[in-house]
Amino acid sequence: MLMTRNYFGFIPGYALFWGVFVIALLLFAYRIRQLLQYMFLGQKETGYNSWGKWITTTFAYVFSQLCQLKNFRFKKDRAPLGHALMAWGFFVFVLFYFFFFILAEGFGLAGLEKTNFFYYFAWVMDFMAVLIIIGAGWGLIRRFIIRPARLKGGQTIEALIILLSVFTHPFAFLFNQATVIAMGEAPAGLGHTLLPPFSSWLSHLFTGSALTVIQNWHIAFFWTDWLTVLLVLVYIPYSRYLHVIASIFNGIFEPRLPKGALKPIDLEHAEFLGIPTIDKLTWKQNLDLYACVVCGNCQEQCPAYITGKPLNPKKVIQDLKQQLLKAGPELVKAKAKGEPAPQNINVTLAGKVILEDEIWACTTCGACDTTCPVWVKHIDKIVDLRRNLVEQSILPETAKATLQSIERRGHPWRGTTLNRTDWAKGMNIKTLAEDPKVDILYWVGCTEALDERGIKIAQSFAKLMQQAGVNFGILGTEESCCGDPARRLGDEMTYQAQAQKNIEVLKGYNVKKIVTGCPHCYNTIKNEYPQFEGNFEVIHHTELIGDLLKQGKIKIGKGDYGSITFHDPCYLGRHNDIYRQPREILKELTCTKMVEMEKNRKRAFCCGGGGGRLWLEERIGQRISENRIDQVIKTKAQLVATACPYCLQMFEDAIKTKQAQDTVKVKDIAELIAESSAK
Amino acid sequence: MNMIVCIKQVLDPEAPLSSFKIDPATNTMVPVTSVPFVISPFDEQAVEAALKIKDAKGGKITVISLGVNLLRDVVKKPLSLGADELILLEDPAFIGGDSWSTAYALAAAIKKVGQFDLIFCGRQAADSDSGQVGACIAEILGIPQVSVAKKVEAIDGKVKVDKVTTDGYEVVEVPTPALITVSNELGEVRFATFKGTMASKKKEPIIWKPADIGAEPAKIGAAGRRIKTRKLFQPVRDSKCEIIGGETDEDKAANLAKKLVEVKLI
Repeated sequence: MLMTRNYFGFIPGYALFWGVFVIALLLFAYRIRQLLQYMFLGQKETGYNSWGKWITTTFAYVFSQLCQLKNFRFKKDRAPLGHALMAWGFFVFVLFYFFFFILAEGFGLAGLEKTNFFYYFAWVMDFMAVLIIIGAGWGLIRRFIIRPARLKGGQTIEALIILLSVFTHPFAFLFNQATVIAMGEAPAGLGHTLLPPFSSWLSHLFTGSALTVIQNWHIAFFWTDWLTVLLVLVYIPYSRYLHVIASIFNGIFEPRLPKGALKPIDLEHAEFLGIPTIDKLTWKQNLDLYACVVCGNCQEQCPAYITGKPLNPKKVIQDLKQQLLKAGPELVKAKAKGEPAPQNINVTLAGKVILEDEIWACTTCGACDTTCPVWVKHIDKIVDLRRNLVEQSILPETAKATLQSIERRGHPWRGTTLNRTDWAKGMNIKTLAEDPKVDILYWVGCTEALDERGIKIAQSFAKLMQQAGVNFGILGTEESCCGDPARRLGDEMTYQAQAQKNIEVLKGYNVKKIVTGCPHCYNTIKNEYPQFEGNFEVIHHTELIGDLLKQGKIKIGKGDYGSITFHDPCYLGRHNDIYRQPREILKELTCTKMVEMEKNRKRAFCCGGGGGRLWLEERIGQRISENRIDQVIKTKAQLVATACPYCLQMFEDAIKTKQAQDTVKVKDIAELIAESSAK
Repeated sequence: MNMIVCIKQVLDPEAPLSSFKIDPATNTMVPVTSVPFVISPFDEQAVEAALKIKDAKGGKITVISLGVNLLRDVVKKPLSLGADELILLEDPAFIGGDSWSTAYALAAAIKKVGQFDLIFCGRQAADSDSGQVGACIAEILGIPQVSVAKKVEAIDGKVKVDKVTTDGYEVVEVPTPALITVSNELGEVRFATFKGTMASKKKEPIIWKPADIGAEPAKIGAAGRRIKTRKLFQPVRDSKCEIIGGETDEDKAANLAKKLVEVKLI
């Protein structure tokens, strides 16, 4: 029985059906148009869009729900599965409403209901409805009874409206189908006797009722079904559930940039630096804001947030979104008139919308970007806000001193008593100036050359290469800071000057292959120098040590450290996907037990030193490095190995301030291997 | 307010000691390549003092430096911070001088600039540390001079200067034109902005030779030098470490105090 062929009084059913649908569509379209207008207030974006991305995003991530399920094993409440149940149900329902409501009911293709297609579809739908009920019920319980911390401050009313609609709708659907079965109409059209189990089970409720009674119930359920669908449709763009649409496009238009890289600014032609006001975000950055569904995965992973800093990546995105929605109408008007937007509405972001303490708290560790199920980028916005602050000369004193030191001396270690070649004294290491014919350049990095603790890594690694007979050289005094701290503190000008200077030197010696022990140099030279035509093959010292071990060129001896845990440096792991090599090396240390911390690999917890934070004071909350050392101590490991001079320094300090010298030690992998091979 | 700031390009005073070497035969420093050149930090503070007045009252800042092969990226720094003009006394004849012959050349250049209300110098250069050039310029020009300023304010034809003393500071007032030498107590200097740096790239310095400023060749640079360096050497620092023991922490503290009294440190 097609509802749209019925009359309600003198109103034909199809008029009502299409009437409400058109109203819903208009409300939906009005809001979408508004949101698109705000979004395209944004600046140009580069390097996005490929057909491959359309396919991988939609199929490999969205339809598979991998975007959610990638976080599954890290969540005690298994919430990603709940989401996946609802999402899978949702996708099937969308198809169902297209075929059987729009085509069959709306256009009266009544024959559809009599096909095998409908019969099988009804079966799938029957299960999908139950999955949605489980998913949404689970969601309701979690959000309103269990209330995990990451959901706090997450616009509860919106959640209630959407979860209740999503929860009740499948009931309406199942009862609607049940009444159809009770009337003996569908979906057994082609002689199938095995009916969809849940709706046919519910249809027993109507056994014995008069046909007219069932018909009235059918009418009621049909309209509840249809109206809830339309309610959800309209509510999506007006709420954060906009992510249903926005996140897919956010994935599709994700700029193609190496994970660890930041976007360069064209300094010759730039009219502004970073994001001074909301209209200076790119349209893709605006789309990020729409895609955010306030799930709080980023908050749950953020080391700054966990240790009590004012930064919460979720809040940063939401605050920017609120500012876009608030200033949007005026900005659109001003743009139409070709006038500048009023300053009291288009307010300065850094310091007003996002506070300075939030902006400087970020370690750019990338935990937020990695865990985000909807491709939102947080680091680019925080660095853009820093870029704007730096341009106004508003930055922490120690950051100023660091940047000035990089600019003047080519290294961030103001006050060091070491020269770039002091560590290599008596080791007979060539500089390229002395002999440019080497197989590989060892890029030492400022911290491994100029810091008292850091030089031990350089000495160990160089010793290993000498043992293995690697023909390598260093740049010595010609090496200059790679620029990572400058770029991540928001000083793009100093960064680009450093990058250009270094690329010139490297090209001057015709360098092809570089090995470095610092993941920050590694990331910068590998992923960011190509932006300035510096293309070199870069490997990290863990990769080279691993190869040398495999080739038997380094003989490893006893490693008597008891049990060891490995701390993944953010710029080696999360930003560059090197997780396996350091672990393989550590396994080679005989007599040593490897234990993992709870937060490892992609989920590793930052040491607190990235993003230029190594040179900033950490006054608010617990020290990130101390928190991580607590995690080390929890594993009962006697030694934490790492592969980054920043991490090493952060942990040396944390171990001292925690007075845990007798409990745990920290060493770089190169040091461990050099020590054990010397034995 | 027309202001002139004298700046000196020096080797980074914060470079590690091991970077420097002295040739005992010539009593000069062996040139090094690994240490960068910077503006003497006290002179940066002199620039900052002038910029603060410019921020408050407006005016023009002319920066003067003296030397050969001055690095443009270094000496143009004040332009990126907000100074208006850069004059370089760049000629081999200008170098190798002592404080007086340097001040003579700078004063001649300042006379050529003509209009000025205030001249700023750093309290001393971070390399030679003599601290005399400022005073000598004031002497040659016949204007009052206030040294080691930590704060400078311009008030109608006069300047109020907070001058550092050993146990605090003294507030003095001088009529303009005057010369002020600035100390590090002035505080942090500003950070070059992107716009400032881009603007400074377009400005070219004005170069003056000895003839341009009417300087007598015998009075400038090495020729005008009256001071002779007898010996230049790197002091050897010998440090001995002694651990003061004791039964308890209190004992250790008491023993430490006794030791300090013994070696007449307290």
